[in-house]
Amino acid sequence: MRVEYINPFVESAFNVLREVLNSDIERGELYLKSTSQPVLGVAAIVGLAGDVEGRVLFDMSKPTAIAIASAMNGEELKSLDDLAKATITELANMITAQAVTKLHELGFKFDLTPPAIFTGDNMEITDSKVEALIVPVILPQGKVEINVAVRERA
Amino acid sequence: MMERVMDTVTEENRKDRLNKERMEKIDFKMVTFSLGGKDYGIDIMKVKEISKADRFTYVPNTAPFVKGVYNLRGEIISIIDLRIMFHLPAEKKKEGVPENIIILRLDEYLIGVVVDTIDKVVGISSETIQPTPSLFGDINIKYIKGVVNHEGRLYILLDVDRILGAEREEVRKEIDTPLLKRAEEKAEAQDNHQAVDFSFIIDTLATFKKFTVNSINENWVRKRFDEWKSDRAYKGEDFQLKDPVEAEEYLSAFYSPYTGRFWAEEYFKSFEAFLPELTGGSFNVWNAGCGNGYETYSLAVLLKSRYPSSMIKIWAHDNDLLNISNAPNLLVNPEEVPEKYHSFLVEGKNGYQFSQVIKDSILFEYHDLLHQSSFPEVDFIVARDIISFLNPAEQEKVFSEFMDKLKPGGLLFLGQNEILNLEGWEMVDRGTMKAYKKEV
Repeated sequence: MRVEYINPFVESAFNVLREVLNSDIERGELYLKSTSQPVLGVAAIVGLAGDVEGRVLFDMSKPTAIAIASAMNGEELKSLDDLAKATITELANMITAQAVTKLHELGFKFDLTPPAIFTGDNMEITDSKVEALIVPVILPQGKVEINVAVRERA
Repeated sequence: MMERVMDTVTEENRKDRLNKERMEKIDFKMVTFSLGGKDYGIDIMKVKEISKADRFTYVPNTAPFVKGVYNLRGEIISIIDLRIMFHLPAEKKKEGVPENIIILRLDEYLIGVVVDTIDKVVGISSETIQPTPSLFGDINIKYIKGVVNHEGRLYILLDVDRILGAEREEVRKEIDTPLLKRAEEKAEAQDNHQAVDFSFIIDTLATFKKFTVNSINENWVRKRFDEWKSDRAYKGEDFQLKDPVEAEEYLSAFYSPYTGRFWAEEYFKSFEAFLPELTGGSFNVWNAGCGNGYETYSLAVLLKSRYPSSMIKIWAHDNDLLNISNAPNLLVNPEEVPEKYHSFLVEGKNGYQFSQVIKDSILFEYHDLLHQSSFPEVDFIVARDIISFLNPAEQEKVFSEFMDKLKPGGLLFLGQNEILNLEGWEMVDRGTMKAYKKEV
């Protein structure tokens, strides 16, 4: 993971989450992972292409996803319905887009794919030949792990 | 009348016997055997059976006292020779004469030990086991549970869990590292006292600094040990390492020249001796464990000035996020660096930095050496003082990764005090510095 990429992702995650949830958020210790990793239950994925290739994954448990969606919509959502899913997808889009904008300013060219959302139990994600940077963010609604796996195009 | 007398007699007898029993309450049985002409005992509860066997299957790369493995009615057990383990004289058995073996059960684990002769089972009262006298020559004292006097013979009672617990660990380490032999064992064969001190140093370095002592750096650690001991004795302090600070002090002389700072002219010269006449248009380097980037920039300056028109690419990796975050924008004080750097510096808002030419040739990445990486094959790998701080299993993984990533005939640079003695690598010595060439 190129050093220059790390900060834009961390910063934009903070800015966006703080803004949309209007509450205190805490950052966990950043770390690297390379083997398969469990996914908590709801995962929004945004693909990256351009100078680099890879993807950003926003990973959280189902109750956390519902609580975040409720907070963002200003109403109590009972289940992970279409509205909740659309909200989480949008959140992923906002964070990634802001990070990519910052990177653009630094001279790195990225393109985004439309976000997709996965839900289910006992999911795992495996990236071949690329290491993932994990940015854990602790919100009042629960923990969100931002999992960035990008590499330079060879 | 008669009957009553008889009754009292038997009653007396019984009482007598009871008394005697009470005096000599037999609650501990041991299997006795001899090793090097002396008597020893092992708690019978630990013994599964006694057997005779020979022709063990030799297992390569194990400690000298491991005789091999043996098939005991379908169960594979390892056989160790206590005489070798305790450095006792062993008679050479004739071919075809089976060895005496005591098979011990430890948790769910069976192990056979070879002894000279097996004597008998002796019952004693556990109260008669006496603590170990503090001076015992043959056997390391921590393996002895106590001494028992029985019918005029002294038996040394061995603590099987201790012996084989420790042994088991060592065997496991062996399996982990078939390529890089542990230093401890070799230490054991030497003067015992010295060896214990030294293995303590090995352990503390591992605990405080995650520093693994093995064939890569053992020479240095040993040399440093003597130096350190006399140094500490002169200061009137104990030579054992009490905390990470002392461990760091012990290792202070380990690090290669110019760690954490820019290279001076002389180091450039030593390194230059390894640079090939470049035929291709590009030169790739992997700088594993680049820290805050001084080493990487020095390398880039060296390569750029030697091959001005070639494409230089350095992948610089470290898993310390804080250190590497600062590397891309490192500030330089031109007065503190050698001439060679000056043409590659530009003045920015905050001070002097490296020029775009240098920056473009370096890719700083936050990366864990043990994870996969995705860059192409490289001509050089520079990994000074990194390997020693990984555990043996990790070292093996990293060396195979190095092998993988290096072009045929490419060079691997380790730290000043690290020596690589591994198949597939050939040492290249150019006077002040050594490198390792990947054999084709």
